[in-house]
Amino acid sequence: MAGTLRVSLNLESPVPAYRQIADDLRRHLVDGQLKPGDLLPPIRQLALDLGVHFNTVALAYRLLADEGWLELKRRRGATVIARNAPRAVDRRQVDGLLRQLSQIAAQLRSAGMSSRQISAALRRLAEGGSL
Amino acid sequence: MTSGFWALMLVVTANALLFHLIPRLSRPDILFGVTVSEAYVAGVGRTLVSRYRMTVWAGAAAALAILLLLQSPQDDSGRGAMLMTGVMTGSIVFAHVAWQLARQKARAHALPPSDVRVASLVTRDTSLPGGALFAAGPFAILLATALLRYAYLDEVPDGPDTANPFGQLVFGAVFVAMMLTMAVTLARRSRQIAADGPAASAEQRFRRVNILGLVLAAYAAAILLSAVTVKSIPGFGDTLSGRGWFVLVPLMLLNFGVTVWMLRVGQGGLRAVAPAARREVHGDATPDHAWIFGMYYVNPRDPAMWVENRFGLGYTLNFGNWRAWLLIVAMMLFPMFAGRLLF
Repeated sequence: MAGTLRVSLNLESPVPAYRQIADDLRRHLVDGQLKPGDLLPPIRQLALDLGVHFNTVALAYRLLADEGWLELKRRRGATVIARNAPRAVDRRQVDGLLRQLSQIAAQLRSAGMSSRQISAALRRLAEGGSL
Repeated sequence: MTSGFWALMLVVTANALLFHLIPRLSRPDILFGVTVSEAYVAGVGRTLVSRYRMTVWAGAAAALAILLLLQSPQDDSGRGAMLMTGVMTGSIVFAHVAWQLARQKARAHALPPSDVRVASLVTRDTSLPGGALFAAGPFAILLATALLRYAYLDEVPDGPDTANPFGQLVFGAVFVAMMLTMAVTLARRSRQIAADGPAASAEQRFRRVNILGLVLAAYAAAILLSAVTVKSIPGFGDTLSGRGWFVLVPLMLLNFGVTVWMLRVGQGGLRAVAPAARREVHGDATPDHAWIFGMYYVNPRDPAMWVENRFGLGYTLNFGNWRAWLLIVAMMLFPMFAGRLLF
């Protein structure tokens, strides 16, 4: 595991807690900060540290396991696995995400960001950079 | 002046000293059980602490003066002793009230709980210090003593301590089981507040020392109760006689050392960390409103069974957690159980 990785949770966010945890973990996985073979903290430990119910973390781990990022084993926690084989594109899921993205782009424009700035920010994110 | 009188004087003074130290033991941004900013603690909070300490010592001085006045060499009745015990209790209650009043003032400067929670993705060590084998040591000591006692069962003369020949050892086994349960649950069901960096290392070290303290308490109980049992066996009793200090002195020194270390590093070991390194850590990740009187943590929404104590050092149970209640019930039943075994 590269350096010290964190997962954060905003209690005021409208995004459900398990989604926030899964999104944070996915970001680390996509960025390559979490590599195949890395062991994630046990569900109970992460739930305790974040102060959420065990099921919340279990749900986040399950979501990532379904996406092919993690392997869940009883009593051994979650292990990052190699995700070499490209998965078939889920058209419905992609459409949904693009719809969310278009809403966010509209919000950014109404907040005063230019199209060029939004494009640049999106490019940075798509290339694995941060804002 | 009787030894009882001096004991009361000592209790009053020790209590005042304890209450004097309590604000110094909390995390740097927790004052009188309230989450505040470090700037407040260093500024206005300092005046609040000074006034609180003056109140505590004034109460203790008044209690000591009353005790001296009440002390009468001719008074052999129990009335004087009762009065003096009342004064001592009063001084303890007074210090508590002073703490609660200071807490009320600090609450006006409480920071709202953070909406953002952060956790490390690095798995931390939740094993017992020394491993399971080391933790099993107290049971091994008690078992070995039980076997020895069994071997000499017929040679022990009848007496009050032989009513239940294994009573002390069973008592010890239950006590050890409780200490180890507390140690295991503290290791596995307490929250890591700082996600990473020196603050996280200090916090983990502090937790491990607390766990080690519980394991060593189990060892101390096993050794002492085994010594008492072995002493009742003819031949062995003479061998052990006068050698108790071999065990007691190192245990007391260790206890003293751990206490001094904990006082120095403060709650969560955070006072040993440079202020810059602890900048990212705010409070103890528990909401103020869940602390009843600033002392008892009741939060059913918190999965943690143990949380850092806000009144003094170490950890306290989350009274809103059903697992914590299993331990509380066991602790409440233990004295009754012990009474049946020992007397």
